[in-house]
Amino acid sequence: MRDIDIVTDMMTSSEGESEGFAVEMEEEASRHIFPIHFYEKHLLESIRPDGRHLSHARHTTVAFGPVSTADGSALVKIGDTTMLAVIKLEVMTPFADTPDEGTIAVEFIMPPICSPLVRPGRPIEVATVISKQLSDAIKSSGMLNYKELSLVSEKAAWMAYLDIYCLNADGSLFDAADPTAEEEFIMDTVITLVLNSSGQLVSMYKPGGSVVAHISTFQDCFVLAKHRAKELMGIMNDAMQLMEED
Amino acid sequence: MSSSLSTYAPKKLQRRFENKEKEWIRSDNRGFLQCRPAFLKTGSGNAASGSAFAEFGSTKVIVSIFGPRESKKAMMYSDIGRLNCSVSLTTFATPVRSKAMMGFEQNEKDLSSMLYKALEGVIKLDTFPKTTVDVFALVLQSGGSDLSVIISCASLALADAGIQMYDLLTSVSVARVGNNLIIDPTNEEENEQDGNLTIAYMPSRNEVSQVTLTGEWSTGKINQAMEISVAACFKLGDVLRNILRESE
Repeated sequence: MRDIDIVTDMMTSSEGESEGFAVEMEEEASRHIFPIHFYEKHLLESIRPDGRHLSHARHTTVAFGPVSTADGSALVKIGDTTMLAVIKLEVMTPFADTPDEGTIAVEFIMPPICSPLVRPGRPIEVATVISKQLSDAIKSSGMLNYKELSLVSEKAAWMAYLDIYCLNADGSLFDAADPTAEEEFIMDTVITLVLNSSGQLVSMYKPGGSVVAHISTFQDCFVLAKHRAKELMGIMNDAMQLMEED
Repeated sequence: MSSSLSTYAPKKLQRRFENKEKEWIRSDNRGFLQCRPAFLKTGSGNAASGSAFAEFGSTKVIVSIFGPRESKKAMMYSDIGRLNCSVSLTTFATPVRSKAMMGFEQNEKDLSSMLYKALEGVIKLDTFPKTTVDVFALVLQSGGSDLSVIISCASLALADAGIQMYDLLTSVSVARVGNNLIIDPTNEEENEQDGNLTIAYMPSRNEVSQVTLTGEWSTGKINQAMEISVAACFKLGDVLRNILRESE
């Protein structure tokens, strides 16, 4: 164990400055072989390996309209995690119980290019889970007025297909709680919150896990999420403005 | 409202190729032997060993390379490496949402096997025994000449991943419309074509790894189309090399 300690000590002291190839190699190796140890060292200093503070999200960019064959599209990058969301509209016959409402179908797709864990053929479990979560969050939040999607009552309505493609998976696929893929790998549990533009909680998700979070932890999470939601709203509004100027 | 409009019908589509022998201009004002403006980039994804993005006009493709990594458990022992190619299309790649389209999965399978056959002779499989290299392509937008864009993009991504190859593989497609040969056809042109020649070519070794010929051709036209596409492959090879040099 002693050898390992020396390696990691060197690593933390050389943070931010490279001390030659050998040190870098050992740093990389210890990071992969003893990930928990590696992160514990960083947590003691309240800093994450990519230089972020614990509560800071990664750099986020939003671009509208990258796909010209679609009716609407947006490209979102949070750090290296890249998502392409595309809307396609089709005309359908409305359901009998909601004759003057259209509907939306949400699908989250992880093509094999996005992560080494995805193989062609059957979709991986996490994609199916996120698909369901997203669909639930969108449908239950009341963010869409389905009546606006109606064309002719009982005859025709818009069917909106929302397909979200993950082009690069580096953690926090669902939104922006924002650990990286590597951090997620060693985490005990995740808590995901969805908020609307006025800061109200729309959905909360904690998928089991070994740690039962305290109520105070949830409260902390809510404060962080609220802060992050504000930040994201700002980024989105800026992108919208840019699009309108174009 | 005028009463003469009895039915709702969009304007009759103008048929560009009504008389294929006559002079006509390509819809994007290109010359017959002019490729679409291209944009290529390596390293667009960090989880992969190598990746590349290619955009030829409205055709947009991402290719990621994974490996060499452990072969699937079910695989038999192999002295040489394995190559696994898979092409998928996004639901918004075509104007009609493609999952509802007939033959959508077949198209993906065809493209995957064509990509595999084009690449298998180019990669030095004996440099990674017992392991597999995965080549995954995602067509973001299908705008014509998809296979050639996928092949060129895949070879760029393989080079980015550091997989040893005999040479960079470049691919160009030529369509015959009437008596005219047009290079790098768009979807619209592919729908009107009388024949198509897609070639995958190694410029430095002067070797062809794949030729696909469809439609009706005369020997003279085939030779002419081959010459055109080989010349274009040479130029594309230089472009790919420059991109790799710049990305270092």
